[in-house]
Amino acid sequence: MTIAVAIKDLEWKYENTTQFALRKVNLEISENTFLGIVGANEQGKTTLVSCIKGLIPHSFNGVYRGSVEVFGQAVKETSGLHLAREVGLVFADPEAQFTAMTVEEELVFGLENVGYDINKIRERLEWAAEVTQIGNLLDKSPYDISGGQKQRVAIACVLAMDPRIVIMDEPTSMIDPLGKQFIFDILRKLKEEGNRTIIVVEHNIEQLAPLSDQLALIHEGQIVKVAPPDEFFADPQSLIAQGVYPPEVAIFAGWLHSQGYLPDASPIPRDLAEAVAAAQTALKMGSG
Amino acid sequence: MTNGPDELRPARLLIVRGMTIMAAESVPVGVRAPKMRKTLLGYVPIVSPFYDYHPVTRLAMYIFFGVAPVFIDLPEVNVVLLLITIGLLLWGKVDLRRLRIYLPLIATVAMFMFTMVFIFPGQDPSYTPIRIGPATIYYQPVFFTFASYWRLMAMLFGTILYFSTNRERDMLVALRAIRLPFIASYVVGLSIRAAGMFMEDFRTIREAEQARGLDTSAMKLSDQAKLYMMYLIPLFSIALRRADEISNALFARGYTLTGQVEGGGRRSDYILNQYQMTTKDWGWIVIFMALFVAAAVAQYGFGLFRLVNSPLNIYLRSLLGIP
Amino acid sequence: MAAVTSSMNTVWDVEPGESRKPGIVHVVMLALFTGIGIVVGTFGSLAVPLGFVSAFWPGQAVQSIGAIWFGWWGGIAAALFPLISNSLSGSAPLPVSIMYLPGNLLQGMVAAWAFRYFKTDPSLKTQKDWWVWIIFGAVLPNLIGAAWGSTTLVAFGLVQQAAQFTTFLGWFIGNTIPTVILGSLVLKFVSPLVVKTKAFCKGLWA
Repeated sequence: MTIAVAIKDLEWKYENTTQFALRKVNLEISENTFLGIVGANEQGKTTLVSCIKGLIPHSFNGVYRGSVEVFGQAVKETSGLHLAREVGLVFADPEAQFTAMTVEEELVFGLENVGYDINKIRERLEWAAEVTQIGNLLDKSPYDISGGQKQRVAIACVLAMDPRIVIMDEPTSMIDPLGKQFIFDILRKLKEEGNRTIIVVEHNIEQLAPLSDQLALIHEGQIVKVAPPDEFFADPQSLIAQGVYPPEVAIFAGWLHSQGYLPDASPIPRDLAEAVAAAQTALKMGSG
Repeated sequence: MTNGPDELRPARLLIVRGMTIMAAESVPVGVRAPKMRKTLLGYVPIVSPFYDYHPVTRLAMYIFFGVAPVFIDLPEVNVVLLLITIGLLLWGKVDLRRLRIYLPLIATVAMFMFTMVFIFPGQDPSYTPIRIGPATIYYQPVFFTFASYWRLMAMLFGTILYFSTNRERDMLVALRAIRLPFIASYVVGLSIRAAGMFMEDFRTIREAEQARGLDTSAMKLSDQAKLYMMYLIPLFSIALRRADEISNALFARGYTLTGQVEGGGRRSDYILNQYQMTTKDWGWIVIFMALFVAAAVAQYGFGLFRLVNSPLNIYLRSLLGIP
Repeated sequence: MAAVTSSMNTVWDVEPGESRKPGIVHVVMLALFTGIGIVVGTFGSLAVPLGFVSAFWPGQAVQSIGAIWFGWWGGIAAALFPLISNSLSGSAPLPVSIMYLPGNLLQGMVAAWAFRYFKTDPSLKTQKDWWVWIIFGAVLPNLIGAAWGSTTLVAFGLVQQAAQFTTFLGWFIGNTIPTVILGSLVLKFVSPLVVKTKAFCKGLWA
């Protein structure tokens, strides 16, 4: 399987700071997989995705060691323009990424930068507007719409450019519950397409876990665990100790395991449906 | 490269003279639809016959009405231009009540100009003194000031006409259409956007202070002035943070310092492509440019618009017995 | 022009190995400062609506501050924003604003050059810093601006030649006072933040 992102011994220290924000990070992300990145605040999650996107070191000053490669190309040596074709990044604060007068201009700006012709731009604009359901917002100012709509516009701007890797950095942190659900619905659709590498930094593990092929935990600038969700949630207490709260269903299943109601080999449920199935299994075992 | 799930058909876009909308907006029954819409630069009518013209045509109109009065000394001609401009504002469905903010300026400029010419008329033996009670005014500088005032008003209303009938996007499209380098038009657009953000931040800070009990209406003017000055400190700090965020966002979208595109080819301009020039547009651009050039030639080549040719001047001089 | 050297490190000194070059952040800062200038300039013109004569214009403070912090990027903003703010407030028609361009550019860049030449701290820490700010950030720019502006108005016939000196004086005093008050506050309290940013220009372009 092709490796989309290869990170080797990555270390990064921001200018005017004394501590390294990332320390000896090693990670490989396969193409067309969904990676969820979790961790408490200020542990290095945003710094890590910024390194994959190339914001670090192109837009930040500091000490950079190790390497990050995207589809075999070193990010440090690749231009921002080329990186924009390969890697899209949705920031946590949607408003921080708007520079144009209207939503339509926001969407086409990136498409013009990557050199698409008018027909291609129109095609990508229509597609992105449909996927994110922002067609009725195109002539509005991106500052005059709700938080959830803003984030959908931000996602549309990235998807329109058709990058092979899509990174979303806490995309639901600043929006209401209904808006959050819509964002996860978009992520679900993207995952179902299966032709993009998706990296999502999120605190909302309940929603993130069912979508993820792999989860990565960052703690104090280091990746301490990378595993499929089954394995990732096998030890909920250690996760809690590092500031990550597993889904309630995983904690419930962990308790069932500890009480012997479930065999050790049974998978950790990732969502409610799997948890109900696990409970039914436990009940059968109890009555059998 | 992917193209999206098969079940998602491309949406149908309705393009209305450069404004792409997916569905028509409707106003609920019983609610009076607003006629004007607020932009960052003022108010523009929601519907206007001006929008049928390409933004470059409107820019050409601005160049004529906003600049050509420089060549015209005759107050009669400038008053006619002013009246035409007001007529265009009405035709363009601009709500003239929105222009009330300019009234103090129009009045104070007149007061200033005529006060200055009264106090400092200058000295020239050809000036004709006119006694009005105990005061003496001089005809030539007063008439010159009168003519200058109407020239200024004609240019001012030309500017008002432009900003009242062009949305920010129209202005940017006009700049792009005349082939201003991308970076220049982008900076202008971002500047206008930044002005709006700055005002929004200012409003947020004020509301936060009012929520904590600050009552500016009860403050002395000097204290209010000090307060407004102090607002600038957090506003500048916010601007610094925004600069980093926006530059990161631009990097993420592949923007380079010069606006160069991937592959080094010519940059497509999708928004500009939404606006098409018609024969009507070309016709009016030629007319406005020809009038502009004609005004310049008439003044500097033939002196047609000089004050000596003003009918009012001729009439007043004959009335006052000035040769 | 021979640089004034100091044995002490100043914010203007480029450290060995430090690489500084113009980037996207400078273009963004140019635009943001132009936006700030539009708002401050329009507010000042509307607050005291004497039209084309500048009688109270805090915009000049933005011109000096922008150029001090961001070199030519601030200088370009200084020239650009009055074009828009004058049009918005109706205080000067487009041809007059275009004629103001060189004066506005100089109003910003005088302070930029002086602060770098004299190695003046933008945070105004010492008495020398204050003097350089007052003379080259407020007084001299406004002398230039008032002279250029009043001459422009005479050329356009908006002010009589005989009234030029009075116009110049009112313009100079009316602009210098808000520049000193506003500019001093902003430089004092915001410069410590600015000098740590990527956009801050130690040279005139980066």
